[in-house]
Amino acid sequence: MDLPGPRWKKGKDGKDFAALAAANPMSTIVAELQAKLRDSEAVATLAVHTRDAILEVGKDQAKLLNCASFGRAVESAGAERQWFQLGPEEVFFLCHALKCVAVESENKARMGAPELWDLLASTSEQFPEMYRAYEHLRLKNWVVKSGLQYGAHFVAYRHHPALVHSEFAVIVVPEGKAFGTRCGRMQVWSELLCVLRASGSVAKTLLVLTISTKSSELGSLDCLEQMIVHERTITRWIPQQCREQQDKSCREVSSNEEQEHTSGGVVFSYWGVVLSFTVLSSLLVYKLKF
Amino acid sequence: MAAAAASARDRRRRSRAPAGGAAHAVGIDDGEEQHLNPFLDAAPSASSRVQFRNMASCARWVEETGAAEVVESRGNLWLTTGVTRAGKLYYNIEEIGFLAERGALILLNDKDETIGIDGIYEKLAGGNYGCSWDTFQAYKHLKSLGYIVGRFGVPWTMKHGGTCDTIAPQMNILETDQSLNRVDGVSNDITKLLKKMQIDGISPSFEVYLPNSKFKKSSPGSPCFLLCLLRGKPPSRVELEAVENNFRGIPLKYCHVDNGRVSFLSFDEVTLPSLP
Repeated sequence: MDLPGPRWKKGKDGKDFAALAAANPMSTIVAELQAKLRDSEAVATLAVHTRDAILEVGKDQAKLLNCASFGRAVESAGAERQWFQLGPEEVFFLCHALKCVAVESENKARMGAPELWDLLASTSEQFPEMYRAYEHLRLKNWVVKSGLQYGAHFVAYRHHPALVHSEFAVIVVPEGKAFGTRCGRMQVWSELLCVLRASGSVAKTLLVLTISTKSSELGSLDCLEQMIVHERTITRWIPQQCREQQDKSCREVSSNEEQEHTSGGVVFSYWGVVLSFTVLSSLLVYKLKF
Repeated sequence: MAAAAASARDRRRRSRAPAGGAAHAVGIDDGEEQHLNPFLDAAPSASSRVQFRNMASCARWVEETGAAEVVESRGNLWLTTGVTRAGKLYYNIEEIGFLAERGALILLNDKDETIGIDGIYEKLAGGNYGCSWDTFQAYKHLKSLGYIVGRFGVPWTMKHGGTCDTIAPQMNILETDQSLNRVDGVSNDITKLLKKMQIDGISPSFEVYLPNSKFKKSSPGSPCFLLCLLRGKPPSRVELEAVENNFRGIPLKYCHVDNGRVSFLSFDEVTLPSLP
């Protein structure tokens, strides 16, 4: 299937950023970032209770972290050193895939990648498949950020979010006995259609990454290479709108009919579901008011 | 067709009125999210935050209480920040973090050496002083918007002009020093005991008051709502009912922090009317 093309944002001169992005390929930026962080022996500190890590860097590395869109900068008054807040997938990627950041727990104990994997997996059941999906997209040089506010696991951008709108809302679905009872996502129609609607209302295509594995358990970092990622999009086809162009797939346009069937079968056990339902119901409220 | 989608989006955007501080929660279009472009050569705008440089207050960290005693107070942030005990003003770790990030506070150790922002972040990351990193994000978010935010159950002052409605009955037995720490990550024996006595569930982290230039610590009145931080899975009905039972009459709001982005939610029990 032909994937939708990128929607580049425009600069002050009215030209879109496609050329700027082409001149700064993400692979180059990430390679530079990797080199600079290694040279400075950067160390990230894990925060307790939450799974975020904080990383202190100098100006050059801060610029590269921003360009490669890792983490969020913590605003601080006029500091020469900058602080970044990294999510669990981001810190693990920098530590294990790029091998350019060392990680310490909050009491200054150094953690190797296997230990870090165990810790992150123990505090979040879904970490193995979430990380595998994150790694899969990042290794293809897509920019991956949290998609929680859109009701998805991730959003994927073709380049930096300041230059381009994100094309995909990504849902990660594990499959197989090894994942146990976690395969609960996207198993009821109301949820699938909810996520589809939420991603459509923000002009993103829904990308479902299914993670399968041959291993029978997922205890340690070794299982990472056994996980296979399958890519599939879910798009709505509107027969009324496509009669003139037979081969072109039409994306859904938000219509005035709101289908609000939320039956009792939906399981509110994931934040993405809760947030996407709140997005949708807020949309309905605004439509009724104005 | 793309044009139709674009104009529908524009119509929605124009007609949308952000509801209070909830603009983020309904941050629908990707275009709403402001991303700084790091590829341009613009100088970083960190200086916009440095408003208080010349008016920085100064506080000394006291390890035993897990808070800082204010040594020199400048400006009037203290009117809505920090607690007073025996005539002295104390800032807890999230208050210190918030003020230090804005250049409004310099933190010293017991040797009067400056503890930099890295030391402050370390204390937050460690979670040993009653507030962890994600709780700090929620605190910061509300404070930046002008809300008055205090740790739940920690009196602003021990002198009361009026009644302090929010202290749950159990808290009265606590001594003044120990009452400084109670957000989460419990740090003293008495509150550990109290926690065991309560149901292991959701508990409020902060009392939140609307922005108020006439706020008085001696009679703060009832908070606008209590804020509970949620981690892990969304709350179940049973957990929600348990926390609501503990705090009858005071509105509860919940927040979830995802890599620095804070979502505020209400889970309100309702009774739909029967219709004719």
